[in-house]
Amino acid sequence: MDLSRRGFLQAAALTAAASGLTVACGNGSGSAGSKNGKNLTMWYWGGALSDKVVAEARTHFADQVKLTVASIGGDFKQKLTTTLAAGTSVPDITGIKGEDIASFLPNAGRFLDLNDLGFKQVSSQYLEWKTKLAQTEDGKQIGFPIDIGPTALFYRADLFDKAGLPTDPDKVAARTGTWDEYFDLGTELGKKLPGTYLVNNISAVFTIAVGQGTERFIDKNNRFIGDQDHIRAAWTTAIRPYTLGIDAKINDNTWNAAIGKSLTTELGAAWHALDIEQAAPKTKGKWRVCATPGGPANQGGSYLALPKQCRNPEEAFKIISWILSPANDARGFADAAIFPAAPAAYAMPAMTQPDPFFGGQKVIEVFGPAAKAIPVSYEAPADAAVMAPFFTELTSIEAKGKKPDDAWNDAVSQARQIARRQGVK
Amino acid sequence: MSSPPVTGPAPVPRHRGGPGPARFRPRRTPPAGTVRPKPRRVLSYWRQYLAISPFFLIFIGFSFFPVFYSLYLAFQRWDGMGTMQFVGLDQFRFLWSDPVFWMSIRNTLVIWVLSTVPTLFGALVLATLLHSVRRFKGFYRIALYVPNVTSIVAVSIFFGAVFSNNFGLVNAILGMVGISPVPWLSNPWLIKLVIALLMTWMWTGYNMIIYLAGLQAIPTQIYEAAKLDGAGPIRTFFQITMPIMRPIILFTVVISTINGLQSFSEPQVLFGSNAANPNLGGPGQAGLTTLLYFYQSAFVNNDYGYGAAIVWAFFVLIMVMVVINWRVVQRGRKS
Repeated sequence: MDLSRRGFLQAAALTAAASGLTVACGNGSGSAGSKNGKNLTMWYWGGALSDKVVAEARTHFADQVKLTVASIGGDFKQKLTTTLAAGTSVPDITGIKGEDIASFLPNAGRFLDLNDLGFKQVSSQYLEWKTKLAQTEDGKQIGFPIDIGPTALFYRADLFDKAGLPTDPDKVAARTGTWDEYFDLGTELGKKLPGTYLVNNISAVFTIAVGQGTERFIDKNNRFIGDQDHIRAAWTTAIRPYTLGIDAKINDNTWNAAIGKSLTTELGAAWHALDIEQAAPKTKGKWRVCATPGGPANQGGSYLALPKQCRNPEEAFKIISWILSPANDARGFADAAIFPAAPAAYAMPAMTQPDPFFGGQKVIEVFGPAAKAIPVSYEAPADAAVMAPFFTELTSIEAKGKKPDDAWNDAVSQARQIARRQGVK
Repeated sequence: MSSPPVTGPAPVPRHRGGPGPARFRPRRTPPAGTVRPKPRRVLSYWRQYLAISPFFLIFIGFSFFPVFYSLYLAFQRWDGMGTMQFVGLDQFRFLWSDPVFWMSIRNTLVIWVLSTVPTLFGALVLATLLHSVRRFKGFYRIALYVPNVTSIVAVSIFFGAVFSNNFGLVNAILGMVGISPVPWLSNPWLIKLVIALLMTWMWTGYNMIIYLAGLQAIPTQIYEAAKLDGAGPIRTFFQITMPIMRPIILFTVVISTINGLQSFSEPQVLFGSNAANPNLGGPGQAGLTTLLYFYQSAFVNNDYGYGAAIVWAFFVLIMVMVVINWRVVQRGRKS
């Protein structure tokens, strides 16, 4: 051994000291007592905000505060929950995903009420239904809307043309006004273009059909309503493409390969356009967008929130209201396909540009009206967990050919049990 | 470093550490014979305790405490942030009547059997083959061990691509010889088979190395004696190699049981890209192992109490399995 004992001990002591120091620094960022701190941290995930706008915000507010941004990878909700529960190193500003916001509402006490900081004055600029989803029953606002996910029907104009169908968005929209008309069109397409499918999987149809209603799986009185007619109707709608044989039954990453080949249409939110573009760059110019059959729904769309430990709430609120001002929000659409939650942005040049991927179509003409028409619905904290068994059973139908009625019964009993476990009556 | 020479006359006083001379005798111990040495107090060993403390501190902080905290959580309802609510045995009652939990146990056991049996059998065969190999020994050993040190995530993604239903390599090859595509990742049994195959591929090398070490410890004289008595290679294997290897086989069986029942990453990564339903083990939940169900309950649904109940129930099951394993392997020796 050429390492002497003294040398070893010195190295060990240094390592211990260094790690101690790191821990001390880590704690330091969360535990400042005063509320006018000069250092603010912001957590978000890649693609949640326009990186350009965030970089500008850092220089714009450089005189008042030093803003440190961290792009958090992996399971964002899990990391945020853990940090909030631990209570140290809590970010001063954090993103919250749209699908998670409901599960944070029971713990609204962990966040600052944005209404106290001036959100009330600007709230009229943002879509009411989106704002409401981040509001507690007693009116506490924990989330500042970043973006929304108005859904639409994406379709392959070239394949429609081949099948002798109209390709113009308005005409297609007229032929797909309801789910039934849409499925009829799909049957026609399937006959003329063998080997192609109308929908990717029936879970996608179910998600949107549920989102088109005003009620979901649990009502405001914390009662399970996932077995009632509105869900059953969404279920029946979802089953139809399966029985008609126009369902591609894709439930894995082979979607990436299928989207440019065998799928004639695709249901999805505004941000889904980016997925299609990335998975099938060769189909550029062949896609078009029109209104969702049966009316618009929302999928996703996030918020910014200020945890209770925020070291400078006033400045933090100024920063988020600057980043999310309609003008900056509109830029997010061009940079990162973030569809703004502020309707004023829809008329701005950044958003009214023709999109070359959609053959020069001005997609805002579809998404803009959809965004404003999305129904207000109540989403309970346990909603996502209760919805999961329905997806599982829909996948079982596709994968194993399980009988839809059996699947429905299993889904409802499983969902009811999860609801009971989470304290729903 | 060698131990300092032991001073003082024999016999050396007995230390707490056991009989024999202590490796590090403290200087202040009076020479034996003058006064009868007082038994050393625990505190006077503080340097030794300090030296071994990092492991125990980390163990207490990151393993011991969480384990027992999870037992406490199993009797609460908690969303990870809000106030905990004591619910008594409710979580276990839910567990008892939760068909998904029982299905996850079935899945785990099926995957475990499908993977452990070929893994251990294959490892033993490979080890025997490798034991008699004369050239490229190092190459074979490394080649067979590499899968075990490859990241599970990378392997799972690779298997996911190879066995993909629509565009996978296996189905492409089957297609070339005229066999219609096999739904590897949507048929409930094939899903389990793919996961088991993945685990077999990863763990055969690991067990093979252990068996190989065991084989090399068997003295060659025994084989020579067997040869003189006219035993063939098969008979030698079953009557000499197997009995001597029994403790090593027992070790691998126990370790494989513990590892195999804890399959989590494989199905999680294989079916994680399922957009509508990640973390649920793929179509029909056929790949939903118990640990994946636990992860989904605790960390996706934020139902920490139920998650804790799942793992504790599962802990009991693993203990039962280990005891059964032990019994089965031990019984053979006694007869």
